[in-house]
Amino acid sequence: MEVLKQLLGRLHPILVHLPIGFLILGLLLIWHDRRKKELSKVLPLIFLWGFISALLACITGYLQYLGEGYAFETVKWHLWLGMGTALFSLMIYVRLAPAWSLNWLQKIPLLMLSSVFFVLISITGHQGGLITHGEDYLVEPLPHSVKLALGIPTFEEMPIALTEENWEEAQLFGEVIQPILNNRCVSCHNPKKKKGELQLQTPETILEGGENGNVLVAENAAESELVKRMRLPKNDEDHMPPKDKTQPTKAEIDLVAAWIDIGHPFDKSIKETGLKKELFLDFFPQRPNETYPDIAIPSAPVDSISKIKAMGIHVDPLNKNTSFLKFSCLNRPDFSDADFPFLLALKEQIAVLDLGGTQITDSIIGKLALLPNLTVLKLDHTAISGSTVLKLSALKNLKSINLSSSKFDAANLHALLALEHLEKAYVFDTPLATEGPRKLQQDHIQIDYGNYVLPPIASDSIIY
Amino acid sequence: MDNMERLIKEKIRRELEAQTRRHFIKQCASGMGGLALGSFFLGCDPLKNEQKGMKMAFSDRDLNPLATMAPPFDSKVKNIIYLHMAGAPSQLEMFDYKPELRKLHDQPCPQSLLEGKKFAFIRGTPKLLGPQAEFSQVGESGHWVSDNLPHFKKVIDEVAFLKAVHTDQFNHGPAQLFMHTGSPRLGRPSIGSWVTYGLGSENQNLPGFVVLTSGGKTPDAGKSVWGSGFLPSVYQGVQCRSQGDPVLYIEDPEGISRNLKKQTIDAINQINKDEYAKYADPEILARINQYEMAYRMQIAVPEVMNINNEPEHIKQMYGVEPGKESFANNCLLARKLVEQGVRFVQLFDWGWDSHGTDHDNAVDLGLRNKCREIDRPMTALLLDLKQRGLLEETLVVWGGEFGRTPMQENREGKKMGFKGRDHHGDAFTMWMAGGGIKKGASHGQTDAIGFAGVDGRVSVHDIHATILHVLGFDHEQFTFEFQGRPFRLTDVEGAVIKEILA
Repeated sequence: MEVLKQLLGRLHPILVHLPIGFLILGLLLIWHDRRKKELSKVLPLIFLWGFISALLACITGYLQYLGEGYAFETVKWHLWLGMGTALFSLMIYVRLAPAWSLNWLQKIPLLMLSSVFFVLISITGHQGGLITHGEDYLVEPLPHSVKLALGIPTFEEMPIALTEENWEEAQLFGEVIQPILNNRCVSCHNPKKKKGELQLQTPETILEGGENGNVLVAENAAESELVKRMRLPKNDEDHMPPKDKTQPTKAEIDLVAAWIDIGHPFDKSIKETGLKKELFLDFFPQRPNETYPDIAIPSAPVDSISKIKAMGIHVDPLNKNTSFLKFSCLNRPDFSDADFPFLLALKEQIAVLDLGGTQITDSIIGKLALLPNLTVLKLDHTAISGSTVLKLSALKNLKSINLSSSKFDAANLHALLALEHLEKAYVFDTPLATEGPRKLQQDHIQIDYGNYVLPPIASDSIIY
Repeated sequence: MDNMERLIKEKIRRELEAQTRRHFIKQCASGMGGLALGSFFLGCDPLKNEQKGMKMAFSDRDLNPLATMAPPFDSKVKNIIYLHMAGAPSQLEMFDYKPELRKLHDQPCPQSLLEGKKFAFIRGTPKLLGPQAEFSQVGESGHWVSDNLPHFKKVIDEVAFLKAVHTDQFNHGPAQLFMHTGSPRLGRPSIGSWVTYGLGSENQNLPGFVVLTSGGKTPDAGKSVWGSGFLPSVYQGVQCRSQGDPVLYIEDPEGISRNLKKQTIDAINQINKDEYAKYADPEILARINQYEMAYRMQIAVPEVMNINNEPEHIKQMYGVEPGKESFANNCLLARKLVEQGVRFVQLFDWGWDSHGTDHDNAVDLGLRNKCREIDRPMTALLLDLKQRGLLEETLVVWGGEFGRTPMQENREGKKMGFKGRDHHGDAFTMWMAGGGIKKGASHGQTDAIGFAGVDGRVSVHDIHATILHVLGFDHEQFTFEFQGRPFRLTDVEGAVIKEILA
């Protein structure tokens, strides 16, 4: 009996299409026949069969509801409306069949009844579709932007917002573990889909487990199915999430494991659990790329770029999505101060400027100060002595300067140190590095004097 | 004249008559063959191969296939120096310290480790071989390094170790190919070719991808380890020699002056330019460019390849031996080349195949000599790059094609005269240093005897993905269309090893 119930229940998705077809055909014919009235013998028959098939659909639908364990809440509307549809088709049959003549029913205009019925069938069918295919089945293929514009809720990612200041106060479960499970697992393990009978959206459902029992083993992540499956090789059949879905990061898995190892508390702050900060570092806001200025600038005019390229100077964007440019005079060792004005056409865009090995002199430094976004400057292998280097203090973004093998003089060290925003300077093989004073106190500028040596040691000459 | 015209018409008519239906169909067939052949060459169509998202001015790459291009993502790193210890160095005598293995010295290897494994030479049940070097913990990072590398200990905090690299090849040739092209079989472009293709070459007088070898032997896999595979051959590595002419045939032949050479090239280029005016084929421009570059290289290459003009203290730091073929010379050259804007410098040093068949390849004798030969130069290379501000824009990679077994080799099941280890791909050590790499990091761990990785295992594809990432590429997006499908260096695998990124 149980088998028969299951089997009939599973016929429901096929059977429902019969009443839908019959009844829509009937409604179409009513519309078609509204003037000529030639089909009055056929129409009742169509609705009679519509009623019979709708009744069958109702019965099998009910069996399926019992057999496949849907929550009543989920199928409620579909169930009532399905029965409504069956009754309504009976009503229209009665209205059309000559054998019956209920006065009150005859008074209602047929077209009005039909319209209401059409709406009823549509809603019922749609409700059924929602149950089998899921809430977002129809709109899923729409592009994200269209969904947003239409106000269709997309899968809601729960952000993990830990910072250097608040991480200890944050709730371990509510603000970290739950968002991880939500973002990686809940799109399948939710009350609607319940893959493997497992739901992971609330503490209660997590503890309930799935069809293979509990997914958590208290204080033992290695034995907990929840962690075990995430750690299986991606090609393993039991690996979760399935390999074509977005995978959790290693840090996320480690954290879920750590949470289980301390007995999966649901209402403790991170501080109370005593977990180490290292586990959470991945969830802190990642430092944005702070090297280059964080501003939008217009892209460089193409003809200025080709003019400079024609001079034999490399001009390339830093990456394909930025207007900032890097310049290199590697192939133009004869580049001199007089050539500089060409670069001014791109003064906003220049972020990396390599003038190493060229004929430039100290007088170019004042002009370099006109490049507001200059971040990395290379003046190695030049005659620069540094007498004018203080002029670079106008550059708020200058972070690194390479003066190695230049003529940078010890007397100008103080000017170099006065550049507030500078972080790194290379002065190897300059008068400063060979005989000049060393900067004693550690401050914002890291100066590399070079001159590293590897003194000979005894083992250098031992031959085995 | 009338007669003449009639005669010509007559000739044409006769020819057409001679053309039977069979001839016509026969010609159609060869025509179809031609069409089919044409489709095989689709992969060679340069216009199809614009890198995804890397649209560039049409003219740049057509005029010069080595023109520089921006990477898709921000990257400070623009050059790579890859130090390959050909023959596969023993991680157990250099970086992977296993005190437990010392305790188990001379014990038979547990059968469970040998089951289903294949070794190049080990047969039967080999005995475990304890580390044949003393180790100490050094630097702020506290990494273990063997006393075979005393100088390298000074720069230990500059590098990031990968302790559990694995490969699926256990013979030198295929393993080297795999390590450098992402496939153990011939035909795929090497990393250097991919990188030069993606970023171009900065110095117009030098090749973008230079290979230097030492140790008296070139890699087993042959020149394919720096080949360009299906990429245009302009991206293949150029092998330079530290003895004799740095590049073969770079000297003008006897009796040909530089002036005459220039005139010859000018004449050829003039013809090519006329040809270009007629057909406007960009391939012709590329050819003109290559002639000119070859001419410039004749001056620039001998200059950059000359280490004698370096100051004495630098030569001492590297321990160079001018006029000889040595790893030290090659390290100094690598720095000079990178300084001159060469994109990818590939060093191969042969002599690491420590099987224990003789003195030179015993892990307690010959291996120590090899370690001494690279210890000072590679340390000097890192320090020299650092003081010139080049280390932050250069990625240095060190490694072999696989690792060596914790068991002593027993060739043909017999005990051998010297201590040696067999090929082993399950776990070995590599390191990276320079731009984009987390200083002092160490990722991955092997088991108590160093047989297999137990944590943080990374594959050869992961290494490639990481190298491309550091240079500003997404290894999944960086493709080349060939034989009707896009190819990647990492094929369909590879994950960036974030643990060692700065």
